[in-house]
Amino acid sequence: MRIDKTHRGWVIAATVLAAVSTILYILYAVQSPSGPRGGSAIGLTFGITGYALMLYAGLIGARKKVPTWRIGRAQTWMRGHIWLGTLSLLLILYHGGFAFRGALTAVLMILFFIVILSGWVGALIQHFVPTLMTERVPMETIYEEIPHVRAQLREEADKLVSSVCGPMDTEAIADEPAAAVTTLVEIEQEDRARFRDIYLRRVRPYLADPEAPRAELADATRAREVFESLRRLLVTPVHAVLDDLENICEEERQMNRQIGIYRWLHGWLLVHVPLSIALLVLGGVHAIMALRY
Amino acid sequence: MSDVHLTIDGAAVSVPAGTTIFDAARMHGIPIPTLCHQQNETPVGVCRVCVVEAGGRVLSAACVRQAEDKMVVTTNSEKVTRARRTLIELLMADHPSPCARQRQSNDCELETLARLEGITQPRFPRRLSPRGQDNSSLVIAVDHEACILCDRCIRGCDEIRHNDVLGRRGKGFWAGIAFDYNLPMGNSSCVSCGECMVSCPTGALTNKSVVKTVLPGEPVDVEELQQLSYFQKVSGTFLELNKNAVVRRHYRKGEIVCREGEYGSTAFYILEGQAQVFLATPLAHVQTQGGATGFFSKLTSRLAGRQQERREEEGARRSIPIDAPVDLPYDNPVATLGPGDLFGEMTCMSLYPRSATVRAATDCVMFEMLRNVLDIIQRNKTLKAQLDANYRKRALDDHLRSVPMFASLTPEFIDVLRNKVELVRHTKGDVICRQGDIADSFYLVRLGFVKVSEPHPGGELVLAYLGRGGYFGEIGLLGEGRRTATCTALDHVELVRIHAEEFHQMVEQFPDVRQNLERLAYERTEQNRQRLATATSMPLDDFLTQGLMEAQSLLVMDLERCTRCDACVRACADAHEGVTRLVREGQRFDKYLVATSCRHCRDPLCMVGCPVGSIRRRNSLEVIIENWCIGCGLCAKNCPYGNINLHPFNVLEDDPANPGRQIAVVKQKATSCDLCTEHAEPTCVYACPHDACHRVDPNEFFRWLGTPLETETRRSLT
Repeated sequence: MRIDKTHRGWVIAATVLAAVSTILYILYAVQSPSGPRGGSAIGLTFGITGYALMLYAGLIGARKKVPTWRIGRAQTWMRGHIWLGTLSLLLILYHGGFAFRGALTAVLMILFFIVILSGWVGALIQHFVPTLMTERVPMETIYEEIPHVRAQLREEADKLVSSVCGPMDTEAIADEPAAAVTTLVEIEQEDRARFRDIYLRRVRPYLADPEAPRAELADATRAREVFESLRRLLVTPVHAVLDDLENICEEERQMNRQIGIYRWLHGWLLVHVPLSIALLVLGGVHAIMALRY
Repeated sequence: MSDVHLTIDGAAVSVPAGTTIFDAARMHGIPIPTLCHQQNETPVGVCRVCVVEAGGRVLSAACVRQAEDKMVVTTNSEKVTRARRTLIELLMADHPSPCARQRQSNDCELETLARLEGITQPRFPRRLSPRGQDNSSLVIAVDHEACILCDRCIRGCDEIRHNDVLGRRGKGFWAGIAFDYNLPMGNSSCVSCGECMVSCPTGALTNKSVVKTVLPGEPVDVEELQQLSYFQKVSGTFLELNKNAVVRRHYRKGEIVCREGEYGSTAFYILEGQAQVFLATPLAHVQTQGGATGFFSKLTSRLAGRQQERREEEGARRSIPIDAPVDLPYDNPVATLGPGDLFGEMTCMSLYPRSATVRAATDCVMFEMLRNVLDIIQRNKTLKAQLDANYRKRALDDHLRSVPMFASLTPEFIDVLRNKVELVRHTKGDVICRQGDIADSFYLVRLGFVKVSEPHPGGELVLAYLGRGGYFGEIGLLGEGRRTATCTALDHVELVRIHAEEFHQMVEQFPDVRQNLERLAYERTEQNRQRLATATSMPLDDFLTQGLMEAQSLLVMDLERCTRCDACVRACADAHEGVTRLVREGQRFDKYLVATSCRHCRDPLCMVGCPVGSIRRRNSLEVIIENWCIGCGLCAKNCPYGNINLHPFNVLEDDPANPGRQIAVVKQKATSCDLCTEHAEPTCVYACPHDACHRVDPNEFFRWLGTPLETETRRSLT
């Protein structure tokens, strides 16, 4: 979510709450002879409030599962998730008095820091990266549709080349020049064979596996050079087909870029979500153990 | 009558006075080649291929020169054969070889003659400027390139059939044959009798051979067909060439003839028996329920009929338009068709889906025919008169009354109109009236779709699409007497034309009709004015070309906020029983994506072609799908933005295999974005966690596009 002026209300509210909590904590810490403790009334209040905020922040996942429920706009939940989730860290720190003894609490705090950090990293990614996606992937498609679109592009490229070279077996790289065929673009047999060979050796492998590391056509500059050299090599009637093939390769590159950016946009959730669940569970365990024992 | 005695190629012959040399030679077994002459047509001697030496200074055309007493005729002297060969070479220089006829049946008369003369490569250069082809007729292909101007087709049309459609156009180098006032053949008054085609010696007029498949059914002999009044004027050769295009079908009582929603290409003419026409799809629309009353109640979709939910303006609806000579009554959508009724015209002529299910009510015999045959018999004056009489008698009343503002017309006045209205037909692309023309008639659409448009600096601006039950022409008649827009037939269109005199009589006699028409004319004029103002005030080309100016409401996504999480799509699917009405793809404007979701266009293309006219607009301009949607899916295909989906439902239907029992069958209903009217805010917008998804008024949105975005402003637009 983009952090902008629309968050002003939440920022003010969270800041006021943080300020009030800090004042309370300072007063409590100064007046408490043995220092701030989680088990004291104020410490428990901080802990319960902090955990409640953590729970609220965690509920956004459940909220997304029921999009039609009219229990508040999802964006309101998201803003609350960010700011109240962050505030919960402060309250939990005040709850423990900045001293976390015992393995469970130490683990909890490490988890907490990672969750908050990953959350803010995610928020920053979602603040900046959508713009990057919009600018760098003008031909963006639906992420789940990418394999399908790629198959269509391969088919389109094969058809384009077939219009010049006639039908071809794309499974194997043929060494023999194409036999006499009916084509839409009339060129010499020799040129046809050369074009077919170039397509099967240089372009088709990239279209078959566009995410292959170090693929020649995956680099825009290199691809431009390749297609320029092909234009010099091949006769003019084929140039229009080459232009189309170049555009197809560009679309493939954009899809690679989209996949990369999409992974950035959503990859951080692989850390944030499981650790948040672990944090909430362990936090609950900690609460039960602390109150019971 | 006395005989004349002459010598032809050394043989003495006697023929009655007035006989031509050509006929004299033929009568005595002496062949003279010809191209322009046929026995059943007046000879004109234009091709000169039949030239002979008859003792004069120059060679004579045997087909027109009469035999004279003591005349000595030579048909094969060197001078004659040289002249004939030169003529054939000249004709071949202007003839695409092989022409269509030569390719089809290897019997082009010119090419046959050229072959006999041993002409392979003419010495003369070919013409450079093409004369073109005319493919506008459904049944006859015209290749002006292959025409040798022999006039056989013209004489066939005028002398034999007395249709007087064909004639000559142009002069000299630009001469050619023409239909009416040089109209495309399909748009002319040609009745497609086929006489020109069978008269033509070359491939200039050929059968289109549209009949590649054989219709299931009993073939009908040409002789038998020609005994029926409506086939009597059709050329036997044409029927022979198209004998697979019309078959006799026998249906047992209860058998289904055709089902609604199916795509077909044939029409049916009932010869014997009665057929029942009805809608098998439930008369209901898709209703979204739940959610509004409780926090946790889930939205569901269900089928709701008029009893469950009566929608705006539905109370006035009396009938459902279908592709038959009758409309179906709304409350009990069943009607009966009998001998002489033709149904399935729209499907046949414009390939629209079937609009209703037809079942044999008794044992039936019908002719099932393809488009070329239907076209020919519709041009037949006898059958046209019969079909029109059926329409006037049975459907005009319902049709007029189905238009709410004519509901108050008295039966007496409708009786007056019945005999005065004109039933007119237009083919695809015909301009019915042009902006600025004198307004002389009011039109009611009986079949097909009419586009109403105005010229615009950026091109044509479509104001409306009118389907069956639509009407136009009232603005000009009630206003300044001139047409305010151009109306064009989008496909095969049939109209009821009410002339100005009857129209004025009607509005004077029925003040409420006048009042309603004036109100409507004002509303239409105002809407058009606003639309033109919008179109001219928007500088964005894409805004116009994408049809966004037509939109009432757009779903836009701020791509700088959208994390591509698809929460909006999932929410839409969740709200509509798993069938999403939103796809996160579409046209980009700046950083906004206009998502694929119903735009509630002002002139929705989805309405064009709906065989039962079940898409309409509410007074609020929201596009809704009516109860009598038959789920054919044409609207989904027609929507250029992919914004209409088909929602499947299980419904119970009589089991044909087990009478008295019912089986569950899947029926579809078209749905489009309903803006989640159950809620204050559409679910997609409500469920977006990133504040990226918004419903906006396009005019406001695009006017403000390009200025810095303020969230408050944006929110006020949603």
